[in-house]
Amino acid sequence: MNWLRRHVRPEQIRELSLLALIIVAILIFGSLIEGYYSFRTFNRIASSVAIITVVGVGQTLVVLTRNIDLSVGSICGFTAYFVGTLIANHNGINPVLAVVISIALGAAMGVVNGVIVAWGRVPAVVVTLGTLAIYRGVLVDLSGAKTVTTDSLPQWLVDLPRLNVVPIGDLDIRALFVIALVIVVIFQFGTSYLSFARRFYAVGSNPEAAQLIGLPMKRIVFVAFVASGALAGLAGFMTLARFGNITVEAGRGLELSVIAAVVVGGVNVFGGSGRVTGAMLGAIMIGILEQSLFRVGISEFWRDALLGLLILLAVASDAVILQRLNQLWARTELKRLETPAPAPAPGTPQS
Amino acid sequence: MSALAGLKRWETLLFAVLLVVMTLNGIESKYYWGVGNFVNLFQLSIEKSIVALMMAFIIIGADIDLSVASVMGLAACVMAWTFQQGAPLPLAIVMALGAGVLAGLNNAFWIAYVGLPSLAVTLAGLIGYRGVARILVEDRAIGGFPLWFNTLGQQALIGPLTLSIVIFFVLFGFFALLLHASAFGRLVYVVGSNIQAARYSGVRVGLVKTTMFVGSALVAALAGILYAARLGSVRGDTADGFELDIITTVLLGGVSIFGGKGNLIGVGLSLLVILNLRNGMGLADITGNTQNYVVGGLLILSVLIPNVYQDIQNKWKGRKR
Amino acid sequence: MTKYLMGVAAAALISLLPQVATAEEGMAAPGKDVSMVLLPKFLGILPFDQAHKGAEEAAKELKNPAALQFLGPTPQNSVAGQIEIVTNATTQGTKAIMISNNSGDQIVPAAKAAQAKGIKVVTWDSPIPSSEGEDVFVAQVDFNDIGKVMADMTLNLTGPEGGEFAILSASPDAANQNAWIAGMKIALKDPKYAKLKLDDIVYGNDESEKSYTQAQALIDKYPHVKVIMAPTSVGIVAAAKALQDEKLCDKVKISGLGLPSEMLAYTKNGCAPQFALWSFVDLGYLTYYTSYMLATGALEAKEGAKFKAGRMGEFTITKDPTRAKGLRILMGPFTIYDKDNVEAAAK
Repeated sequence: MNWLRRHVRPEQIRELSLLALIIVAILIFGSLIEGYYSFRTFNRIASSVAIITVVGVGQTLVVLTRNIDLSVGSICGFTAYFVGTLIANHNGINPVLAVVISIALGAAMGVVNGVIVAWGRVPAVVVTLGTLAIYRGVLVDLSGAKTVTTDSLPQWLVDLPRLNVVPIGDLDIRALFVIALVIVVIFQFGTSYLSFARRFYAVGSNPEAAQLIGLPMKRIVFVAFVASGALAGLAGFMTLARFGNITVEAGRGLELSVIAAVVVGGVNVFGGSGRVTGAMLGAIMIGILEQSLFRVGISEFWRDALLGLLILLAVASDAVILQRLNQLWARTELKRLETPAPAPAPGTPQS
Repeated sequence: MSALAGLKRWETLLFAVLLVVMTLNGIESKYYWGVGNFVNLFQLSIEKSIVALMMAFIIIGADIDLSVASVMGLAACVMAWTFQQGAPLPLAIVMALGAGVLAGLNNAFWIAYVGLPSLAVTLAGLIGYRGVARILVEDRAIGGFPLWFNTLGQQALIGPLTLSIVIFFVLFGFFALLLHASAFGRLVYVVGSNIQAARYSGVRVGLVKTTMFVGSALVAALAGILYAARLGSVRGDTADGFELDIITTVLLGGVSIFGGKGNLIGVGLSLLVILNLRNGMGLADITGNTQNYVVGGLLILSVLIPNVYQDIQNKWKGRKR
Repeated sequence: MTKYLMGVAAAALISLLPQVATAEEGMAAPGKDVSMVLLPKFLGILPFDQAHKGAEEAAKELKNPAALQFLGPTPQNSVAGQIEIVTNATTQGTKAIMISNNSGDQIVPAAKAAQAKGIKVVTWDSPIPSSEGEDVFVAQVDFNDIGKVMADMTLNLTGPEGGEFAILSASPDAANQNAWIAGMKIALKDPKYAKLKLDDIVYGNDESEKSYTQAQALIDKYPHVKVIMAPTSVGIVAAAKALQDEKLCDKVKISGLGLPSEMLAYTKNGCAPQFALWSFVDLGYLTYYTSYMLATGALEAKEGAKFKAGRMGEFTITKDPTRAKGLRILMGPFTIYDKDNVEAAAK
């Protein structure tokens, strides 16, 4: 227990418990569904999780600063549609350029959010509720009811979801999943070890203190929204690649799934705690639930009710496990304090 | 600047916006200034308006209830399903209200007792309650309610006002008194502004939250039943997605998402602004998509402009010194 | 002189009488100012835009000085939005509302209120199930026939040995898709289809992403499925791509109702060798003519009434055999598309 206490931070405990829950879920579904343990199942879950994870990383940054970004669905849809139309009209466009445009477009929309939240001092929920409607509305008005269809898209884009980056025997690790993993790794390292990224936590956990020590609060919040927008833009490109056929309604409702992932992943909605990897685990948990419920022999109409229940249980058991661990923690700490400690050697720091 | 002065400024702003909107509407369409149109204006969104009143409580208490629209749908489906099984409609209505209470108790248990964040719990409820509604109704539509039910839902009751509109005004008065003139209302503000202080002062925070979430679900259930009466038929997707509009209305009314601030007058004015704005745009043949982003823009500007104005004022005052 | 003047006055008075009295039975009298609203299920997809095109074509032919209002809700607010548009149109004294009904019977109170004000309510593409509040339904094809065509196409694609198939529909509340599926189930009772087994019906809500993942899930859950039947233009495209991505186009085929311009690639590469549709442009054209004639009194909404709708020829109002009550104008045949004719149609 002491070892645990000394080496593992509380948030990591939370993620470990979530990981345990994921394993339990996989075991349960594996016993109910034949042929569940297959690479195909892995790819299914990985593809659906990839897009939500990427947006979830951005959302985590925003939520860490005690804000929220509800416009990610509209940003994702807007980017998917806009870039899709662009590529459809200019088939020879460089793929990297297309990705860069998606990210830049998303970032631009994130800039609008960030400016109004940070310098306009408008609460994030108000701003992003507004931009959710505005971005979507502009998209619908400008689009003229056309759908981006795959036959207008170049082959590299259509084939992208099937692209194996790292084939390990029969297991294909596909491009979209790799993108998501890379993003998670980058941002997790960033927020853990880079001091300017650690500021997100500072701003969210104690804004007054952060202000007092002179952190550029507005800039930090601004950056969080730009990052969220940029990642939503990237997700828009991934959506375009994955689904190919993009209507003006693309990405509708994405924000709900992302917030669910983030919440299940243990990111505190009051800011200041939670990790990017948590968001990924949350997305994986929900992805597993969604994909697997279909395969268990229950009718379509029962799935959502079960999904809601299971999400609730995931969040609850997570919290309960954490509570128990904290109690256990406190008790061992108490015991340690009560037993008389041997006199420490001179120069040894008290633990 | 005292909180009261700030509040007054928000309401005045909303009132000014309302006057502008109504004037523009009158210029734009000759059909605007008609009793029938005003009744429609309310009727088309009356159920959302009723739920918004209770949502104001929840948000002032620093919580959120994303599951209200799903509870509306659930109640409507419970009522329809029970009725279809052969029960008399009054019994079905009671069952529907009961379903609402159960949903509210479920929410309250996880939020007040277990201590989970309300965003998470009601998000799960949003998905889950809709799912239960689907289990009951599947892909069918249930209608054929007795004439008295449909008449109550659709026809005028007192003068030109329908039952739903009357209920709205009654609830508005009741909730305004509850929030602003009763001890419970004060508790809601206290819990919303500083929950730790509330706990240490001996406020039974759990009981307050339970009351609020059960109340929210009950009001949502009532709204769902009224909606079913207005439409004459119930489906699994009844009231799908309403929560967004409801929350927008409350936030536009000056209620702070962080809790502890806001009042029902603001919410009432916000309702009037949004309903008139949508009605005017509808009469000008502007479609829902455009309406959405106009309301979205209004929401942002309503907070942004006073802030910017105050910033300019401060800078100006600073320079004078 | 006086007699002459009186004669002129009389002639002038007679010419002022409503032209209905002088119009031929079942012929539209052009040039009338009839404000009309075309209300699709929601805005943003091509079929409804095509219907709009057809309606505008008819409006031009009929020289209606009142511009056609093409109004629709957003997909996620479809029901409340449609009710709102019907109510507002009633307030504004529109003469005719043409609605592709996505609200089931929930639109009945609003539709009846419109009728009470003398407004003609004409449904197209998707009717009001109980037919209350509706003057007449312009049906693109016979709904039971769609079921039979779907069954035929399925049998065609599985081959005579039959096999498993699944249906990917739009919304579980979509009246027209539900009617077609019901029609298909009735058709399947015929011994000719005895070897076909319906595995499941799933719903994609006319959303590209959801339809895609539902199609994938179908293949996962039913590894022996041979055909996915998708009577929704959004669903069929998404499912085709899903099959293509899974490299399963040799084993599993997709069929249903789709737009040639959107399905072109999949028909050519064999994922969707056969599918069907009708002309939405024609549907909009016919609906406009019908509504115009009803609103100007040139046509009465009763059984047996005949009329000529411009370039599309003669139609008769009959009872709708696919619903308990209600009148119907049956537009006409649909086209089965395969690799021979899809390219020409996609232009």
